[in-house]
Amino acid sequence: MVPLSPDELTAIELSLRIAFWSVLISTPFALFFAWLLARRNFVGKLLVDGIIHLPLVLPPVVVGYILLVLLGRNGLIGAWLYETLNVSVIFKWQGAVIASAVMGFPLMVRAMRLSLEGVNQGLEKAARTLGAGPIRVFLTVTLPLISPGILTGVVLGFARSLGEFGATITFVSNIPGETRTLPLALYTFTQVPSGDSMAFRLTIISVALAFISLFLSELLARRIRAKVGN
Amino acid sequence: MSTLYKIYQHALKQITLPKVRAFLLPAALIGHLLLQFPANAMADDIHLLAAASLTEAITEAIESYKSISSDRVIGLFASSSSLAKQILNSSPADIFISANLTWMDTLIRENLIETGTRKDILGNRLVLIAPISNTMDLSISKNLDITFALGDSRLAIGDPNFVPAGQYAASALKQLGIWHQVVDRLAPGSDVRNTLTLVQRGEAVLGIVYETDVPVGKNIRIVDYFPIDSYPPVIYSFGIVRGKNSPAVQSFYDYLTGVKAMEIFITFGFIPR
Repeated sequence: MVPLSPDELTAIELSLRIAFWSVLISTPFALFFAWLLARRNFVGKLLVDGIIHLPLVLPPVVVGYILLVLLGRNGLIGAWLYETLNVSVIFKWQGAVIASAVMGFPLMVRAMRLSLEGVNQGLEKAARTLGAGPIRVFLTVTLPLISPGILTGVVLGFARSLGEFGATITFVSNIPGETRTLPLALYTFTQVPSGDSMAFRLTIISVALAFISLFLSELLARRIRAKVGN
Repeated sequence: MSTLYKIYQHALKQITLPKVRAFLLPAALIGHLLLQFPANAMADDIHLLAAASLTEAITEAIESYKSISSDRVIGLFASSSSLAKQILNSSPADIFISANLTWMDTLIRENLIETGTRKDILGNRLVLIAPISNTMDLSISKNLDITFALGDSRLAIGDPNFVPAGQYAASALKQLGIWHQVVDRLAPGSDVRNTLTLVQRGEAVLGIVYETDVPVGKNIRIVDYFPIDSYPPVIYSFGIVRGKNSPAVQSFYDYLTGVKAMEIFITFGFIPR
């Protein structure tokens, strides 16, 4: 195999780092909203559902632009963050994490919500009659039952992040070593006269990365299924 | 559309069954959309692919061409390299205007530009810009402490890998010996207008664009001009794509490279050569 160049390694590492963090941060929130939408009825539920699904429907560039308007240095939230906490995510890989997390969020919520809706609530009620509190029921009955759904959500979120382009380039630009992930590096090479061979290499790397992620998630899914006894 | 509408109106009069009538509108809409696809794909519009920095000037030129001819001209604007790549991959382009000579040279070498149509007739200058709220007084020289001026922000330039404005900017910074200060502090943009936006939004406190971009932006000011000998001359190169020199294209091209269009370019600050 042709050894990877330092630039390629940087892009791979950055892609994985951003995907890892975006999934890590969004999983608890996604689980909360999945639970809210699957189990609770409240005023404005349709609106919450709609807002969560927006990134799935809106063009990624629009999402990136909204993030820029909100979180940029002069943005509604960004200006405040910068002045009070001296924090700014613009041009930073942490900003790319936010972009990825937002784009992957609806996919994660959907997967988790579906599996929550499939849980037999009789089992939870039985646990309650046997004396377990609501938190214990959730941790020992519900959570194990929906773990395949959580895994699906995590895999979808991770995959979405690896492929994220439009929101990232609009929000945090295309900075080598900071926000130039695999898709952005690939795009950059497609713009250069002699970049075709490099773009081709990155294409192969992307395909390989996708396959490895899918393979690992399938292995994990099998183990979980064996444990849950589905 | 109008014939379609007449047919539709006629059909509505003929049909009295409410169910069929209700079905007719979506059917007509879908039918219309289906017909549009091949029609538009084959339309005889003139496609002009031009460097992003020319957006306003070319749009104005296209607008004024309407008083001369009924041919429809469609302007597409992006970084010269994106456009050249599209021509290399045989997108339906008729006229190409590149913000750097290398790309025009490449297309000519690939035999994709009509022989004898190339005209290098426009020039531009490179400037350092800042948001108006930023009142730093800097002058471009070998002693410029640009790292200090940037603070924790970044220097917005076109991506030097492919955006001509970024390539001119990089050579100017190298020539001045301050490139090493900024090489890790860049915010590369996808075209020169992206760079302009980054500075305009205040995300970057300094940026490098063409002089003609400045009036287009809001709330930005020119900090200083780059010395004219610090970078290769910014030259716009015009050409007709191989096989596309129909009379309609040729006539628009003559207009575009003629006196009338040059007057428009000059009002937008471009320098005739």
